[in-house]
Amino acid sequence: MENHQSHFETIYASNYSKVIRVCLGYVNGNEDLAKELTQEVFIKVWENLASFREDASIATWIYRITVNTCMLHFRKKKKENSGEITKQIEQTEEVSHASKEGQLEKMYACIDKLPQQQKAIILLELEGLPQKEIAKVVGLSHEAVRVRIHRIKNNLTKCVQHGSV
Amino acid sequence: MEAFEDLKSQWDNQSHPKAPEDGSKQIVEKMNAIRKKQRITNFVLGSTIVVLAAFFIYISAYKFQTVMMGLLLMIGMLVIRIGLEIHSIRTLKKMNIAQDSKSFKNQMIHYYTNRKKVHFVFTPIIILLYCIGFAILLPSFKVSMSSGFYSDILISAVVSLILLSIFIFKQIRKELSVLKLLKN
Repeated sequence: MENHQSHFETIYASNYSKVIRVCLGYVNGNEDLAKELTQEVFIKVWENLASFREDASIATWIYRITVNTCMLHFRKKKKENSGEITKQIEQTEEVSHASKEGQLEKMYACIDKLPQQQKAIILLELEGLPQKEIAKVVGLSHEAVRVRIHRIKNNLTKCVQHGSV
Repeated sequence: MEAFEDLKSQWDNQSHPKAPEDGSKQIVEKMNAIRKKQRITNFVLGSTIVVLAAFFIYISAYKFQTVMMGLLLMIGMLVIRIGLEIHSIRTLKKMNIAQDSKSFKNQMIHYYTNRKKVHFVFTPIIILLYCIGFAILLPSFKVSMSSGFYSDILISAVVSLILLSIFIFKQIRKELSVLKLLKN
């Protein structure tokens, strides 16, 4: 049990940032919601740690849990938050068009408009996960992921520039 | 023209949220709390069935065919409903959250489609039979109870039924919206 706990603590400390960043992408940059989701992810990591097979990469395994947990995360607040973020984006645009923070918020808002699977793919790509590993997380072929990434990148760039996917 | 690489570099340069110092301990504590809650829920459900069965024996319901039928219908429907919920919770827990998201999504769609069957086929039948069971008991209640107490039982039963229906309706609506979102 103690061994299990110390193993979990190591995994938690080394993967927390990765997980919360993906979660932030799923909840339009809302930190409180992202923290809640991250906690949920690590509860599942704890529950399933015994079933983790060492032949797979722990990062891919955690990303799978993260994407699946975030996918099921449907909240009423989502719409309100999206509205808030959109308002913030508009305000930020008025003050400084090129503000980095504003750009990041724009990115969150644009990612939020994407369908679930595309959202997962682009967030993992932004996190720098190799495409082969992304394919393992989302359950598509490497080739399919490669093609989709190209398309989503274009759409995301256009969205951040013009405000629509 | 802002290229994707610029977006990527902005993404990389955002602040890295650090893990809370006692975060992992909090999770272990939360897990223990969840397990404790599950044990309490199981205890409450088990106790409810025991109390109902004890009540059944206490009032010697088996001696009166109508009362027995009414009570059996009510208790039976309650047990079936609880059984269905336990089965659903177990199915959900057994699902492998660490599988790829495409397979996981398909499993979730399958799960919620089955839940839809429970909501639209089993739940109405269960509620109907439960109400029939209650209606069967009413004449016995009327004979053996004061009119005030009888009215109390009648009113509280109707209120409970309305509250239960609202709760079930909300649950169904929530699950249907999850299914709709999953299919998107």
